[in-house]
Amino acid sequence: MTKLIQTIVDGLGVGSTYALLALGISLIFGVMHLVNFAHGELITVGAYASYFFFLHGGSWWWMPFVIIGSAVLASVATELVAFRWVRNASPFTLLLTSFALERLSHALWQIFVSPKQRAFPKPAWVFNQFKVAGVSFEVMDVVTIAVTAATLALTAVVFKRTLFGISVRGAAEDFDAARLMGVRANRVISGAFAFAGLLAGVAACLILMRSPAAEPSMGSDWLLKAVIAAVIGGLGSFTGAVVGGLVLGLLETLTRAYLPELAVGWDKFSTAVVFVLIAVFFVIRPDGVFKVSHAERV
Amino acid sequence: MSGVNAGLLRLTRSTLASAALVAIVAALAMAYTSGGGASRDSLIAEMLSNFILVLGMQVFIGNTGVLSFGHMAFAQIAAYATAVVGIPLAAKAKALPDIPFGLDSVHYGPLGATVFAIVVTIIIGGIFGIAVSRASGLAPTMITLAALFVVEQLVKNWKELTRGAGGLSGIPRLEGNGWLWVGAFVALVVAHLFQETRIGRFAIATREDELAAPALGIRLFSARWAAWVVSMGLIALGGSLRAQSLGSVNPKQFTLDSGILILVMLVVGGMRCVSGAVLGTVLITAGNELFRQLGDPQRLDIERFPDLFLGGTMLLVMLLRPGGLLGDRDLAGWLRRRTYRRPPPTGEEPRAGSNTLVAAEIEVHFGGFVALDGAGVTVRPGEVVGLIGPNGAGKTTLFNVITGIVHEQGGRVTLGDRELTDAKPVDIARAGLARTFQNLRLFKNLSVRENVTLTELVAARHRSHRVRPDADTLLADAGLTEWADRQAGTLDYGNQRRLELARAAALAPDFLLLDEPTSGMSDQESQAMVESVRSVATRVGAGVLVIDHDLGFITRISDHIVVLNEGRILAEGTPAAVRANPLVAEAYLGSSA
Repeated sequence: MTKLIQTIVDGLGVGSTYALLALGISLIFGVMHLVNFAHGELITVGAYASYFFFLHGGSWWWMPFVIIGSAVLASVATELVAFRWVRNASPFTLLLTSFALERLSHALWQIFVSPKQRAFPKPAWVFNQFKVAGVSFEVMDVVTIAVTAATLALTAVVFKRTLFGISVRGAAEDFDAARLMGVRANRVISGAFAFAGLLAGVAACLILMRSPAAEPSMGSDWLLKAVIAAVIGGLGSFTGAVVGGLVLGLLETLTRAYLPELAVGWDKFSTAVVFVLIAVFFVIRPDGVFKVSHAERV
Repeated sequence: MSGVNAGLLRLTRSTLASAALVAIVAALAMAYTSGGGASRDSLIAEMLSNFILVLGMQVFIGNTGVLSFGHMAFAQIAAYATAVVGIPLAAKAKALPDIPFGLDSVHYGPLGATVFAIVVTIIIGGIFGIAVSRASGLAPTMITLAALFVVEQLVKNWKELTRGAGGLSGIPRLEGNGWLWVGAFVALVVAHLFQETRIGRFAIATREDELAAPALGIRLFSARWAAWVVSMGLIALGGSLRAQSLGSVNPKQFTLDSGILILVMLVVGGMRCVSGAVLGTVLITAGNELFRQLGDPQRLDIERFPDLFLGGTMLLVMLLRPGGLLGDRDLAGWLRRRTYRRPPPTGEEPRAGSNTLVAAEIEVHFGGFVALDGAGVTVRPGEVVGLIGPNGAGKTTLFNVITGIVHEQGGRVTLGDRELTDAKPVDIARAGLARTFQNLRLFKNLSVRENVTLTELVAARHRSHRVRPDADTLLADAGLTEWADRQAGTLDYGNQRRLELARAAALAPDFLLLDEPTSGMSDQESQAMVESVRSVATRVGAGVLVIDHDLGFITRISDHIVVLNEGRILAEGTPAAVRANPLVAEAYLGSSA
């Protein structure tokens, strides 16, 4: 029972990071049908920003601002320099454009900083443990879940209550109609990128507190998982992104923890098992858990 | 007999185009290697195996437009399959003492090992491809990504079969690059031929429009799956030859990154055509090498500059020429146009079909909103029926019910004695209903004539009992003769509408279903559209069901008019009778005319 609770808490921790990233991907997909493979690079940007911040005497107190700020700026910048120019292209072209940015980002960090990992100190309290009813937790587990919950609540308020959020949702449903209603395309799209940057920045904070190091290709693994989570949930669906992230996180940790008990000798195949399950899921539900019907006229 | 001739012509064209492309690449390679050095030969070897892999991806990604990250997984399966049967028995017993499936006593020569690898990969990949081809949207891409990770972990951990992350060596190496050239040529011929086959054309149609293709009788699944299987064969050839050219195989050769390199080659040159794939491979291989030399091998620069080159090139191409450098300028396509001969006219007189289309008492609710409340329509053979009504009357919904896009909660649709209620769009099209779309869904990157000939391919198989006029006759009826070789997407609006009409008629349908064929047209154009619809419909002997807002157009073209209002039939009859009906004037004309 103790093991189960710990596994679930671990799963929710990883899953909520996936969820934050997946939410950003889903948001951008909603407004411009782009599956943004450069989204993970925002984590890398945050990581290098904090590395340089530490190099110049920064401390963890200001870190979240540095990380989130740099991620927001980078996100808006990608839209300005690249995505704006292919806005009406096919989803395929959009996706490859983001892929190109991802490659470029890897190359630039390698050339201008180093291909090697750059580490910096972590906050002292991160791995402190405490016990509740005989089950021990890390402080970071609680921080992760609490921060994610707060961020998701903020997201919900922004998209339900503010004019910006409503415009974005309107644009996601039918961009042409939204434009006729007076929604300004550039502003909505820039705003969506900024918000996706914010979400990625929060995710980057959580990731970097656990493992404070910058590396050119660190964003890619997170990105792939986040894209999978977003598609599992149903691209364009905000609830779906969160559910997809949490499900993926739980699936990974539960498989890793319990597969060896279920099938002896299979522990080394846990990732393979997870991906087989994912593939099977996509065969059964190609549109994800929450299917989003786009305003596609025939 | 003409089928054999056509097949021979296709084979000749594909071989000619392939030979020309190989000759160009070989000339470049010779100029490069004559500078000397074994490293130059190994670069050519690398390029050639990439070449085959790029063509493998082109067959699936380029023709179906479905992005796959997983192709490298199958190249890896092929490479390992080559290794486990190609490594001599003594060396194998040492490296893989516990090898399963009785492979410890199996040893094939280079040709045998290659064939074995291709067969194994096609079987495994083919089964997997069922999942990929069934799904829609982004799901196939995600499934291929999953495949990549699954295969990667299997290879790294199934040590009895693969020896794990360290890989396998001791595969007998091929002498020189001769076989790689042969492989590249074979891959080129296969890729060219595939684009000429019926199923290959269908795959291209699904790429151009996922909704229009089924509405013209093309089954998404079979077209995609066929492309996938052929693509697996080429990928396996590439993977196997690479393993035999290097003499060793390990998981690092088949990562997501290496797959992306191949993908960049494909999209930079232009994924839609084979010539583009060739150009991309040559350019990226050369550029990569150039940037590698810029780096300082003492430091880790050697890795970083190629990434910069790849990312930069891909970004520029996507921003400036999203279709790739060549777009659709394909050598084989050019040959195809040059050798196009209009088939002799069949001389058959048009005759009307004998089936009546009946949609009766259709009910459709969207949530609480009742879109159709018992409306229906009957179209007799050769008859032109117009469907009008104010906005929200249910015209388009009725249309979508008949063509299988929306499912009705009540009522029946029949064509003659054939039940079409709940049938899929693709089967409805094959049964004899061909539709056009309100928002124009042409195969934009194909030529005007190809748009029509594609549908004729469906008609040849499923509508052979009907009179099937050739593409040029239909294009002439629609007034498009002078544009026949233009790219469909470059036509002006009115001509695009007429092309959709001709394309639908090429199915030799019992009925043409036209969804607002004059929307956005001037009076003059819509007058001309009346003529086009009449002559095209008469040519194939089809009846017509047409929705339009333009009352003038509807009354001129229709023999019979049905007026819908709030999901029910408000009135029907001859154009004159409907015009005179006071109810109609109140509901429809009163407000808008």
